[in-house]
Amino acid sequence: MSDHDSAPAAPAWLGGVRDSLPLLSGYIPVAVSFGLVATQAGFSSLETLAISGLIYAGASQFVFVGMVAGGAPLWLAVAMTLLINLRHVVYAPNLAPWLPPSRWWPWLMHGLTDQVFALALARLPQLAERQRVGWFCGAALLAWLSWIAGSLLGALAGEWLMTQWPLLGEVMPFALPALFLVLVAPRFTSPRWALALCVCIIAALAFTLGGLANVGIPLAAALGGLCFFTLRAPRLPGGQR
Amino acid sequence: MSIELWIALLAGALGTYLIRLLPLLWMQRRLRHSRERAGTESMPAWLGVLGPMMIAAVLGVSLVPKTLDSSGWYATGLGLLATLLVWRRTRSLGLPVIVGVASFAAVILLLR
Repeated sequence: MSDHDSAPAAPAWLGGVRDSLPLLSGYIPVAVSFGLVATQAGFSSLETLAISGLIYAGASQFVFVGMVAGGAPLWLAVAMTLLINLRHVVYAPNLAPWLPPSRWWPWLMHGLTDQVFALALARLPQLAERQRVGWFCGAALLAWLSWIAGSLLGALAGEWLMTQWPLLGEVMPFALPALFLVLVAPRFTSPRWALALCVCIIAALAFTLGGLANVGIPLAAALGGLCFFTLRAPRLPGGQR
Repeated sequence: MSIELWIALLAGALGTYLIRLLPLLWMQRRLRHSRERAGTESMPAWLGVLGPMMIAAVLGVSLVPKTLDSSGWYATGLGLLATLLVWRRTRSLGLPVIVGVASFAAVILLLR
């Protein structure tokens, strides 16, 4: 067995855990909400846990549970779940150049959520190759376990929690935009990048306000990318593009 | 939960996992081939741009406050500003997020 295939070293695990701690304040309130919604829709605590542990994709879980509870055909609920999660298709290829050979990666892809991707894309290039599997394990596992624990908490005591601390559910999720801002800020390296990123952020915000949050992510990213490459297009003599 | 529902859940879970896994296998194979041919790895240029854009898009989506009133937007604006200022000073990950959340909470508490 090569070095790459040996179990990840503890310090790298810990680094991943430490870096993913900010994710928790965003994950847990949403997971608690999911646990509450799922039990109110008639799912047991065990079933709620199974959905969170196996599907592990926030928005699509709400849709799956809502459609099943509403009596929609099961194939349609599955199709909608996959459609919402289709945006994940571009995450792993972006990380691939930073992933050293290891048999662990296929298993770890289960933990590749929006947030873990954003964190990994920013941190993996800064780490030594031998640390990357361990770092990703720590970050992805903590995020996954916090999602499962939050869902269980929501299923068992969600209603009580929401009435006791209503403000907490509103304030804690702000950790996610704060974290994403910190992750995207180093990319503002030139006017070209800055303009394309701003177009992308504003477009995603507009899509969300228009009720298109999930489809808005890939669409806004495509718009930002289009802006980036349009700005690069060389000018021909005479000022024409 | 009925057997049919369990099967639907497993299908949704397997499909989501494959959406995350298969593109990795495709890209790893592509990188391996390009390394064997040219001695270096090559990633399509559009993919290198799309990664940061996806993070920016997720940021845009998450900016919408839970309660869409003026205090929610003020809190979001001030929270982002505080996050950015602390990040410029520290260039760290955790502290800017903590300060951002605290600023967001302070505005919500003051205005509501």
